[in-house]
Amino acid sequence: MSSTENKSVASGSSSRRDDIRHALHLFRQNPLVLVGLAISSVTLLISVLSPFLVNPALANDTHSLVKNCWNNPIISWGSNISTCPGAVHPLGTDAFGRDLLDMIVLAIPVDVRIALEVVLSALIIGIVFGATAAYAGGIIDEVILRITDIFLAVPGILLAIIFLFVFGRTFTVLTVAIVIIWWPTYVRLLRSQVLSEREKPYVEALRAMGAGRARILFRHIVPNSIYPLLVQATLDIGSVILTVSALTFIGLSPSDLLPELGNLASQGFGYFFQAPWEIIFPGLTILLISLGFNLLGDGIRDIFDPRLRR
Amino acid sequence: MVFVLFGLSLMIFLLLRAAIPPTFALAPYITPRMTGPQKLILAQSLGVATQSCPSFTAFSSLQPSCLVPVWDQYGAWLHSVLTGNWGYTLLPGLQAGLTTLAVFGERFPYTAQLAIMGAILTIAIGIPLGVVSATHNNKLPDHISRIISLGGYSIPQFWFGSVLLILLALDLRVGGLGLLPTSGALATDCAICFPNPGTIHTITGSPILDGILNGNFGYGWDSFVAYILPAVTLSITTLGALTRIVRSSMLEVLKQDYILLARSKGLSERVVVYRHALKNALLPAVTVAGLITASLFGGVVVIEIVFNLPGVGSTSLGAFNVDDVNFIELYVLVTAAIIVVTNLVVDIVYAKLDPRIRY
Repeated sequence: MSSTENKSVASGSSSRRDDIRHALHLFRQNPLVLVGLAISSVTLLISVLSPFLVNPALANDTHSLVKNCWNNPIISWGSNISTCPGAVHPLGTDAFGRDLLDMIVLAIPVDVRIALEVVLSALIIGIVFGATAAYAGGIIDEVILRITDIFLAVPGILLAIIFLFVFGRTFTVLTVAIVIIWWPTYVRLLRSQVLSEREKPYVEALRAMGAGRARILFRHIVPNSIYPLLVQATLDIGSVILTVSALTFIGLSPSDLLPELGNLASQGFGYFFQAPWEIIFPGLTILLISLGFNLLGDGIRDIFDPRLRR
Repeated sequence: MVFVLFGLSLMIFLLLRAAIPPTFALAPYITPRMTGPQKLILAQSLGVATQSCPSFTAFSSLQPSCLVPVWDQYGAWLHSVLTGNWGYTLLPGLQAGLTTLAVFGERFPYTAQLAIMGAILTIAIGIPLGVVSATHNNKLPDHISRIISLGGYSIPQFWFGSVLLILLALDLRVGGLGLLPTSGALATDCAICFPNPGTIHTITGSPILDGILNGNFGYGWDSFVAYILPAVTLSITTLGALTRIVRSSMLEVLKQDYILLARSKGLSERVVVYRHALKNALLPAVTVAGLITASLFGGVVVIEIVFNLPGVGSTSLGAFNVDDVNFIELYVLVTAAIIVVTNLVVDIVYAKLDPRIRY
């Protein structure tokens, strides 16, 4: 074991393998990252497999049920429309009499898809405009910065409400609205990274070798300054899901029957004294997914943080 | 700052004028008794209909000769915004002829009360949590504080609020205390609980402040109690950002040479941490705390709905449902102005506190 380590250090050419080993070491050291990794992998897996696990047609299969449960002096839950958690329905049924577990499995891909779309779009916009602002400097930089200022001054949820009001309640509008809330952070993050990266000697060397501006920027500087953005993107998957579910919870979902975590909770909100599981389980799912991606992002940050290396 | 406000007004204007028919913009200004020609004159004075428009029906059927290009509407729009000409409210259940501005003015103090209580709680919990986290780096208190801040960061506001309400309902069923109310801006029904409920004069509009200013402390206390759960929900979900900043800036400061000097002088750990390090570490926290407070004004929509509070956040959703454009517009512009002004104030305060910064 120690001999192979010595060899790799001595050769010096396998620094990438060293980095990976170091990353794995940090991963093992921080059990919370592993929890985050596990939760986010399971989330992504469920998102992909969802249509095979649960028949999507079940979302339209609504019926009312009459059932009371857990009647004792302390808790008397039960409502005339939904069934309590039990053997038949592990998490009970929702306000439309649909199995809540099935609905949550159907809802996860909806939220995860929006989150991934938002984060990827914001990432691309951030890279293009952030790199341009930092590298061009001068008036272009100033204009891009001032525009991000404008968007950062509006509370995100209010801007999203206006977008949904103007362009109608669809998931496309919702996604675009959240991208518009999110992109300024990425632009500013990449801009500051590029600004510090630009001053490094290798950039000067490239310039001396006669490499073009665009080539230096997008082939060399951007790949070197992208890690903080990837961390931010991982952290933001959770935040985007929180924002989406908050918007659908307050009633801005495209349809009442649509399985989406915030919408499921919203439909259950009216009955939370009789059937608290209708809001507890969808909310708990959001909490877990968000926590998972946050833990993962936090761990990746530690791994890429040069101050923590060796 | 002026540029940001201008750009923002332009964006809101374009969204709410260019993308939806001009009849939406006119609706809040029409009163039931108006005749067609009067409506047309109104539309022309607001800059949404052309002078050559033949009749109001032609305008409302969107005839091309009646439509003013969007760019030409901006001046008139800005004029009504700045002169407070926001028209009448379209919200149901309110007395007719009430202006949007009056409704906003009446409900905004409730939102301000919630945002400020939430901010105070966030600062009161977030800063000590960050300090403890830094002084006990990678030990148990640090882990606990990280879990609280990361957990709070990941909790849906509506879920945390609802769980608090469900727990409270259980408590009521057991016949427990049941002290905290589950909805409304006041904990109890005023007629029963106050010695003389008639003495409340509206001064600020916020029940807590009005109670204190009127000397009717029961009334103020009652509203304070009603806002405890909403404020806790608000602060739990926002304190992560503050804790993280305080922790990292405290860790940074504790590495500085002057801390080493203070320690080598033989000063106690308490004095080093709280007299030397904390003051310097709090500088970045001032910025973040200011911005968090400002953003809370726009971030209370979900909490106001869960706890059924009569603030502008929950009202703007009602406005959404009845196509009351002006109320939403007013809310967005006011919160944005609060954020921009706070930004400026925070910059000035920061420069005053940190002599190294000179503009």
